[in-house]
Amino acid sequence: MKWRIIGAIVSKDLSLYFRNRFIAVITVLGIVAFLVLYFVMPDATSVTDVGLYAPVVPSVFAEEESKNIDFVMVDSEAALREAVAGGEYYVGIALPADIMEKFDRGEKPDIKVYFSQETTDEMQELYRLFIQELAFKQTGQFASFNETQIVLGTDLLGQDIPLRERMRPLFAVMLLMMEMFGLANLITVEVERRTVHSLLVTPMRIRELFTAKGISGIILSFIPAALFMALVGGMNNQPLVILTAMLLGAVMVTGISFLIASLSKDFMSILGWVFVGLIIMAVPAVGIMMPGTITGWAKAIPSYYLVLPVHQAAYYGSGWGDVWQYLLALVGFDLAFIGLGIMALRRKFQ
Amino acid sequence: MAGAIIAENLAYWYGDLMAVDHISFNVAEGEILGFLGPNGAGKTTTVKMLTGLMKPKAGKAVLLGLDMAKNTEKVQGEMGICFEDTNLYEQMSALENLKFFARLFGIDGFDAYALLKRVGLDGREKDRVETYSKGMKQRLMVARSILNRPRVLFLDEPTTGLDPASSESIREIIKEERERGATVLLTTHDMEEADKLSDRVAFMDKGKIVALDTPHNLKQQYGKRALKAKVAAAGGKLEDREVIMDTPETDKAVQELFAKEKVVTVHSEEATLEDIFIKITGRGLLG
Repeated sequence: MKWRIIGAIVSKDLSLYFRNRFIAVITVLGIVAFLVLYFVMPDATSVTDVGLYAPVVPSVFAEEESKNIDFVMVDSEAALREAVAGGEYYVGIALPADIMEKFDRGEKPDIKVYFSQETTDEMQELYRLFIQELAFKQTGQFASFNETQIVLGTDLLGQDIPLRERMRPLFAVMLLMMEMFGLANLITVEVERRTVHSLLVTPMRIRELFTAKGISGIILSFIPAALFMALVGGMNNQPLVILTAMLLGAVMVTGISFLIASLSKDFMSILGWVFVGLIIMAVPAVGIMMPGTITGWAKAIPSYYLVLPVHQAAYYGSGWGDVWQYLLALVGFDLAFIGLGIMALRRKFQ
Repeated sequence: MAGAIIAENLAYWYGDLMAVDHISFNVAEGEILGFLGPNGAGKTTTVKMLTGLMKPKAGKAVLLGLDMAKNTEKVQGEMGICFEDTNLYEQMSALENLKFFARLFGIDGFDAYALLKRVGLDGREKDRVETYSKGMKQRLMVARSILNRPRVLFLDEPTTGLDPASSESIREIIKEERERGATVLLTTHDMEEADKLSDRVAFMDKGKIVALDTPHNLKQQYGKRALKAKVAAAGGKLEDREVIMDTPETDKAVQELFAKEKVVTVHSEEATLEDIFIKITGRGLLG
């Protein structure tokens, strides 16, 4: 491997990257826009309003109010239904007037829970457990009750992490992925203008060309994302874990860029493929932003194994022992994408 | 002279289409070989195989005594190529383009300014290539192809579409490179250029080399020399007369021409390479 040649190509690629005004602008603008978005978002955890119709209010409801749930009393069950359906509350709980007597007698009170129609099964299950927990706290024993769940409106319960912190992995992944456009464009232009032929007749070996392109891609995708995470305090916890995950993410992005470059013939086709990639890869990050919106199938998306360790390390301080399996999976995806990308590009170059 | 470029039974095909049909030839060190043929004749595919851009499906290419397939990188360090299509980094300056390629060739202390002056681009060294005219870009392409002082130089249509002054300056550089000792394979449509510059020419048609010799020998073998005369005719008009040279009857025909006619002007005419190509292949160079 001739590092002199690799260095020359990397420095040429980086220079050309920033001479393309469009790409330079979207790169800088991307970092600035995500930083602005992050800082304008509320940094406090949101309080979930739950509508409550209860002729008699059990004391445990008042205690729960200090734990990020606001129970808002409504006058009637009909008003509660209307409020949940209209999106005023994420969830509405209607308690019967004789709830305490029934608990005392060991009978099952009838409790109705109203949800928005978008609420997932998982979230409905969470509320069922929540009410069970309240009943336990109220009676001091496992209390059974007849529960009726009625879906009416939207649910976003569980936002105990500030939204902007949840958005952090999404922004970082978006910044990483945005560079697919720049690198794919660099390679496509190289092929379309046939400058790659002028490289292939020098003493450079094709593996040196791929190494150089890979290094350029990793630098271009890793640095903006790492810079963003550093500026928003995303690396206060476990910086090495986060940097490793993002570096592996940058390798994956480079592999995907190789594939996109091999499939694209011009600017518009690159744009199309990159958008498809961005949308798919953003899904796991959306799942972290809005828990309960995605289920197991997200594990099939490679970025899941990037987003999760970044989020867990940044927010919960998860270390190597907690996230190694995600990073290992990411290494697997890296090898697959880089391998496929090089195969496809080699065919295109020849 | 040893063969600097040797093609041994070289072949390449795309599906059922035989692009290069088992051709063999060699170019001696310091020789300029003109490679002529219509579009689609297989010239570019041959050059790509000789330069390592494509692997031959049969046969082999030997450059500077080394099998190209086994020593691609080593040979490419001794090689220069000027492609037909401009493939420069247009958002970089001429200076940056040359310095970049000099780094790839591992040339220390490379004087890009001197080379750019040699091809007439001094004063515009730091301008982006995208602002250059076609002729300037072509001169930069030639400069790039010779920056490593190659022992073997491939030039693919280096003067196509250029104004006469630019073409002439490129031809001068080709001659200088030959004088330096470089072996040149010159692909061109320009028969006059091939005739002037080449020591030998190869005609390629439908993937095969149909003729390979010096321009003089080809003209001798396939062309005819003629004596063209204008003679005075009735009514003060001029008529054309032609006497074919190099035949047993030539002397007698010339004597008769001067004895019987009032010759006003006379000149000799040689067959062109284009005439010869048409004679050999039955069609012109433009297809």
